[in-house]
Amino acid sequence: MLLGIVLLGACSRPQAPELSQGTLLPSAKPLLEFELIDHQGRPFTPGNLQGRWSFAFFGYTHCPDVCPTSLSMLAQMQRKLEKDAALNTLPQLLFFSVDPQRDTPQLLAEFVPYFHSSVIGVTGDQQQILKLTRQLGILYAKAEGSGSEDYLVDHSAAIILFDPDGKLHALFGVPHDPTLIANDFMAIKHYYEELQ
Amino acid sequence: MKRFLMALALSASSWLAVADSGILVEDAWVREAPPSARMLAAYMIIRNSSDRDRVLVDVESPQFSHVMLHKSEVVDGVARMLHQDEILVPAQGSVVLEPGSYHLMMPAPETHLSAGDTVDFTLTFANGDNVQVQAEVRKKP
Ligand SMILES: [Cu+2]
Repeated sequence: MLLGIVLLGACSRPQAPELSQGTLLPSAKPLLEFELIDHQGRPFTPGNLQGRWSFAFFGYTHCPDVCPTSLSMLAQMQRKLEKDAALNTLPQLLFFSVDPQRDTPQLLAEFVPYFHSSVIGVTGDQQQILKLTRQLGILYAKAEGSGSEDYLVDHSAAIILFDPDGKLHALFGVPHDPTLIANDFMAIKHYYEELQ
Repeated sequence: MKRFLMALALSASSWLAVADSGILVEDAWVREAPPSARMLAAYMIIRNSSDRDRVLVDVESPQFSHVMLHKSEVVDGVARMLHQDEILVPAQGSVVLEPGSYHLMMPAPETHLSAGDTVDFTLTFANGDNVQVQAEVRKKP
């Protein structure tokens, strides 16, 4: 009888998952308006984050080291999730450009699908990108001493997870491991669904 | 004739001694990138079996207009790439050029490089030694 009550208590209050790479926000943060463009030239707004989970990375296509490494990592994670029968909808993978001056939708269209066919590249007006990044605590800036043509861009290395309500839900700092992030994602998703 | 061969052998071995800088490069590769990529990165392990520090000061390749020495690092969550004037290969030690750390960076050539292609690099060290390296283009992971 007592055991029954204890078990009932444990069931009715789901435990926050222990994560190996991710950090859950104490409460998911809704996003204010922004208006960007995806790599097919369609508008990309907070509405595009509704209805499914989304992983986002912020980088630029002239970055040959950190950005391809992170995109490959997300692609590897996606291939692991594709094998997970418990998952009926895969998360969106988003690559937000922090270099809209060079990263046109056309350039992104030739860049992001290479890593995984499901990656969506997003770019747009500098002010609109800032509207999004400032809400997320994502930092970026042209590197000091960069020439006018071949400049480098410093940018946050974190991976962001949005929940199906389009809210900022969790963050993943470096280093990133595809298996650990896939496992964390399943745990976060399970916990989120239990709380619904 | 015998004396001639002996001289030849001697000169050959002394030439080898000069060329043998104690530098050995392993696992050199270039990351395959989408055709639209404007920049590429190369990685390798440089070993130094000599008793003196070696300093990599320049890299050239007939396949690229120029090759830069770079290092990526993440400080307070922000990733940045830093130009390196030189890369130290410590005596009896090694340096690893790998994703997220030291790398060679070069503008993508007109002809797209695909997995399996090879790239030739000449590494120049501060003491004047040159080391030829052939790197394989690889799709990762
Ligand atoms: Cu670089």
